[in-house]
Amino acid sequence: MSTRARKSRDRAATLRREAEERARRRRRWLVILAVGVVVAVIVGGTALLTSRDTTGQGGGAATTAPTGADGYGVVVGDADAPKTVVIYEDFQCPVCGAFEHASASQVAQGIDDGKVRVEYRVVAFLDQASQNEYSSRAANAAAAVLDVAGPDAFKKFHDTLYANQPAENTAGPDNDQLIEWAVQAGADRGQVTEAINSGQFDQWVVDATDQMSKDGVTGTPTIEIDGEKLDPQTGLQRVLALVR
Amino acid sequence: MKWVVEWWGLPARLLIGSVWIAAGLIKLPDPAASVRAVRAYDLLPESVVPPVGHTLPILELVVGVCLVLGLFTRPASAGSAVLFVAFITGIASAWARGLQIECGCFGGGGFDADATSKYPWEIARDVGLLVLSILLAWRPRTPFAVDTFLFPTETHPAEGVRQPR
Repeated sequence: MSTRARKSRDRAATLRREAEERARRRRRWLVILAVGVVVAVIVGGTALLTSRDTTGQGGGAATTAPTGADGYGVVVGDADAPKTVVIYEDFQCPVCGAFEHASASQVAQGIDDGKVRVEYRVVAFLDQASQNEYSSRAANAAAAVLDVAGPDAFKKFHDTLYANQPAENTAGPDNDQLIEWAVQAGADRGQVTEAINSGQFDQWVVDATDQMSKDGVTGTPTIEIDGEKLDPQTGLQRVLALVR
Repeated sequence: MKWVVEWWGLPARLLIGSVWIAAGLIKLPDPAASVRAVRAYDLLPESVVPPVGHTLPILELVVGVCLVLGLFTRPASAGSAVLFVAFITGIASAWARGLQIECGCFGGGGFDADATSKYPWEIARDVGLLVLSILLAWRPRTPFAVDTFLFPTETHPAEGVRQPR
């Protein structure tokens, strides 16, 4: 092979190596870029989800609790009643609807007779089963009725909502309808309208829902008697036995 | 057979990837629900429950997208395998303790009266996907993967030979 041919071959090899080196560098930068994107998505996405979970944040201020609430509970009935029944409920929850349908009038009678007092724990986690966020709107409205008109009005409003419970994945009663029922239950129209439309107790409901989970209650309705958590069927029988 | 050996990885990573994407996406709108679903298993201390609940949907989504693209296939399938082991452990533990909760795999979570009858199926599904994830982590080279472009030196197509990895 002539010197000239060898030089030409070496030159070609050098060029090829340089091209390969450039390609390798480009790929390395792409890998670094891709790693950066993955890390940024994980960190940024987690931060975004954390910020969108308002649990316990109270929107920067202290959570507004409705007047008359006992923690996250609404206690209806005589303080001297021999038994306290705690009921965790979501207004959109169909099993809660069935429970209320089977027990509401007997429980109301039992409360009047002083046999039981009931602590309602209203929570809202079923907005995705409603076309218009009925679960959280109804819970806020119930808290508004409690705030404006007290526990007995709350109980009436609560029973009215379950008597008119919307099916899952439909549009539930709108705020105007909730306001009408609130007024019928005894709430002042002006006050309750403001509280319902502004979602005054939305954050309290969010925190109540989180507290339910922290209490070890994983679904609704959960009925708690003497500290014992009962499933809907057992709970219904025990509650009916108490008020009989 | 050669065809199977070379091509099984593509449907495998598309399947696992789309399961993760679905699982992650459905949880994005309601981070508080994700936290409650984690808490319902009653396995982790309360201090780490919210961070885990907030991180899981994103991790699922990222692992899923990486697998579908064939990007960083080995670490993504390893991550997928780790997540499946964690979920299988969680579901098995809930079952063993007599908890009746929805797995929360695709959103939801919380009490479910039929939970006990669903646990075996959920575990079977996760074990199947776990096995596929491990196979992918072992042999991460699959057709139509971004990895092929980013890391071309690992194979020598001209020789038709896969180098040991």
